[in-house]
Amino acid sequence: MTLSTEKFVEYANRVETEVGRVIVGQGEVVRHVLVSILAGGHVLLEGVPGLGKTMLIRTLGQALDLKFSRIQFTPDLMPADIVGTEILSDEGGKREFRFRHGPLFANLVLADEINRATPKTQSALLEAMQEASVTVAQKTYQLEQPFFVMATQNPLEMEGTYPLPEAQLDRFFFKVNVDLPNVGEMVEILDRTTGKETPAANKAVTGADIVEMRALTRTVPIASHVKEYIAKLMLATHPEDENASPLVKKFVRYGVSPRGGQALVLGSKVTALMAGRYNVAFEDVHAVAKAVLRHRLLLNFDGLAEGVKADDVIEELVNSMQNAK
Amino acid sequence: MNTLSQLTQTLEGWIRWLRLRRAVTWFARGLAAALGLSLLAGGLGLYQSKLLKAEFLTLILVCALTLPPLFAFAAYVWRIHPLRAARYFDRVFHLEERVSTALELQSENHAVEIIQRQLDDAVSASRQIRPRRDLPLRFPKLDLALALFFTLLLGALWFRGETLFAAASRQRTVEEAIAAEQTKIEEIIKEINTSESLTAEQKEALAKPLEDALKELKDNPTMEGAVSTLVGTSEKLKALDSQQAAQIQQALTQTGSSLAAQEESPLEAVGKDLAKGNFAGAASELANMDLSQMTPEQLQKLAEQLESMANSLAATNPQLAGQLMDAAQAIRSGDMAAAQQAMSSAASQMVQAGQQVTAAQMATQAAGQLQQGAGQIVAAGGGQTPSQGGAMAQGQSQQSGQSNGGSGSGSGSGSAPQSNQAGSEASSSPIEQNNGAGDGGESAYQQIYAPSLLGGAGGDMLGVPTSGGDGEVIGTSPTTAEDGESLVPYTEVYSQYNQFNRQALENGEVPVQFMDVVREYFSSLQP
Repeated sequence: MTLSTEKFVEYANRVETEVGRVIVGQGEVVRHVLVSILAGGHVLLEGVPGLGKTMLIRTLGQALDLKFSRIQFTPDLMPADIVGTEILSDEGGKREFRFRHGPLFANLVLADEINRATPKTQSALLEAMQEASVTVAQKTYQLEQPFFVMATQNPLEMEGTYPLPEAQLDRFFFKVNVDLPNVGEMVEILDRTTGKETPAANKAVTGADIVEMRALTRTVPIASHVKEYIAKLMLATHPEDENASPLVKKFVRYGVSPRGGQALVLGSKVTALMAGRYNVAFEDVHAVAKAVLRHRLLLNFDGLAEGVKADDVIEELVNSMQNAK
Repeated sequence: MNTLSQLTQTLEGWIRWLRLRRAVTWFARGLAAALGLSLLAGGLGLYQSKLLKAEFLTLILVCALTLPPLFAFAAYVWRIHPLRAARYFDRVFHLEERVSTALELQSENHAVEIIQRQLDDAVSASRQIRPRRDLPLRFPKLDLALALFFTLLLGALWFRGETLFAAASRQRTVEEAIAAEQTKIEEIIKEINTSESLTAEQKEALAKPLEDALKELKDNPTMEGAVSTLVGTSEKLKALDSQQAAQIQQALTQTGSSLAAQEESPLEAVGKDLAKGNFAGAASELANMDLSQMTPEQLQKLAEQLESMANSLAATNPQLAGQLMDAAQAIRSGDMAAAQQAMSSAASQMVQAGQQVTAAQMATQAAGQLQQGAGQIVAAGGGQTPSQGGAMAQGQSQQSGQSNGGSGSGSGSGSAPQSNQAGSEASSSPIEQNNGAGDGGESAYQQIYAPSLLGGAGGDMLGVPTSGGDGEVIGTSPTTAEDGESLVPYTEVYSQYNQFNRQALENGEVPVQFMDVVREYFSSLQP
């Protein structure tokens, strides 16, 4: 092992510091996005316009020293626009099809307002997110590692949008809610963005560092009773499970898949390392539970009609699972 | 570099502390449980009137002194799995699963660098822990509050439960009295079964009601049930004591006395035995009498006496009288063989009569003892000693529920001659224990023994022959005796009076404290 925990913590702190130079507040959002990157997952950020979602992703791209590309999703965006396409080239009288890489061929891809694209285009992301490869004209192209998709969506303007299907939502490691900043943070944002100089993030870590950090993450041990707790927590998100909380039984149609459990374990491991620990604690699980579970819980009609928040259901579930530790 | 042994050593120290903490906790729980158990068992015992005050105290002390240490010891030595303990300590010491993960990983024997780092981290974090500070010894407040609550209830029971303790005391006395009666009955049964004077049928007839009584006493060991059983059994035994047996005995005794009084009589020995009530001996004397050795005068005298005996016994025992008469006639006709044969038959009849008398006596004696036992049980239960027999006994035997008074408050209808107040409430003591308000005060009274039978049927009339009715003059019948001598022989009079004395003693008509005096008095009169 080449990377120590201390180095891991140092790198993570450095990234957070650099991002913090640009992004005011949103510490938990930054932490979750970073955790997701270090665990090798993709992030879906949801928040109203103007909260700095795009800015956050762009700043992360700067701090991580990764190849960054941004795709603005629109209803007329086609899969070839993001994946790439073969064009006819004429060089020296020799005509041939050559593949032109789309914006997906980057380390950090910002899929802005992903729910505005058609499902066809959204689905074009599926292979890239899951397999880290794209297939065009029966030819598969591997994407460069590390590869992360950071998607944003606006929960308010739903007209003319295409909500992501459950299968695609499940591909996202975390779903991070971006909330309004408080007064102090707002003043700080105004100061930073309306002054003479616009702050920018410096390069904190390289892509190779990220790969090493990801490798270290996988080695973090996790005790059997913590794993059992995670498994019970996952199963308890299903209304038919004996440990399901009252809210789950009442408002959840379908619970979390095993992929959610994987995300919970990996997210917990990264959180443990970032806390300077070599083992996963229950606190680590709780720290990432909402980000992992909130987009994987499918509410039933009653839940949707009553405006039940997935976060409330998860919080109640976690509280009810204290005895399962 | 830290080793696993360092971690396990630290963990063992924590486990010892945890054991101590558990012991303290369970000591308090044991105390609460002990007091609760005492309250439950004591309350139940008092409710059933089975627990005396001293026993109640002993129960509390035994529970309070044994259960808490027992609980504490069990809690201390209770097996604690190290891994589970590690998880517990991770939680209470906020170690974020460091120790449990380290233990688990070491047991799985991972040879990865991060595992060693994790172990170092766990050891380092565990060194910061001070169990006495982070997990202090505490008595569980809820259990202590519960123990206090139980103590208050026990105290209330101790100081306010005098009535219950008194009832339990009475119940215990009654149980002991019933047990004593059972022993007595068993002895009587044994005596009956070993008696050589009784036939098998007589033994069975006598023992059967006693065995039934013994079973009933075991099945229903209450005061009411015991008294009812004893009185009922006493009545059954009395029924066995037939009037005929008494008459036979009286006739034989009288006849024996008159024979014994005649000097140089061939039947003098027989008469003496009969007068003493030794019927078997008398029969033996009669059967073994050798007629061939007698002179004609003696034979003549013998024939006369046999005829006299036959005449005396003709009313009560005609068969015996017939045999005696046959013997007399055979002697007169000179047929000594027939006379000897008739005398043997008469002896055999005499033995049977003796057995009948013995059985009757034993029945009477047993009945008297049972009556006496019933009275003792009633007295043990806090009731009055048997008095105004008819009312009391009838009430008991009818299970009328008038139990504790034990003084004839039932609607009995005693028929004892000396109990003319049968059935009347006023027939018992002046102030009833169970009286309600306005019954004439509740001052303590002294029990006055009024000789009577406990059974509702009352006792037999003590038919003292020389007792006259009201206004009659006794002892002025014509007599030929001179110089103040009695007309009736002393032995005969003594025998009759002694018989009445024995009957009175057996029927419980003589107070217990005076029984010995009466016996000694009559013994001193014995000729």
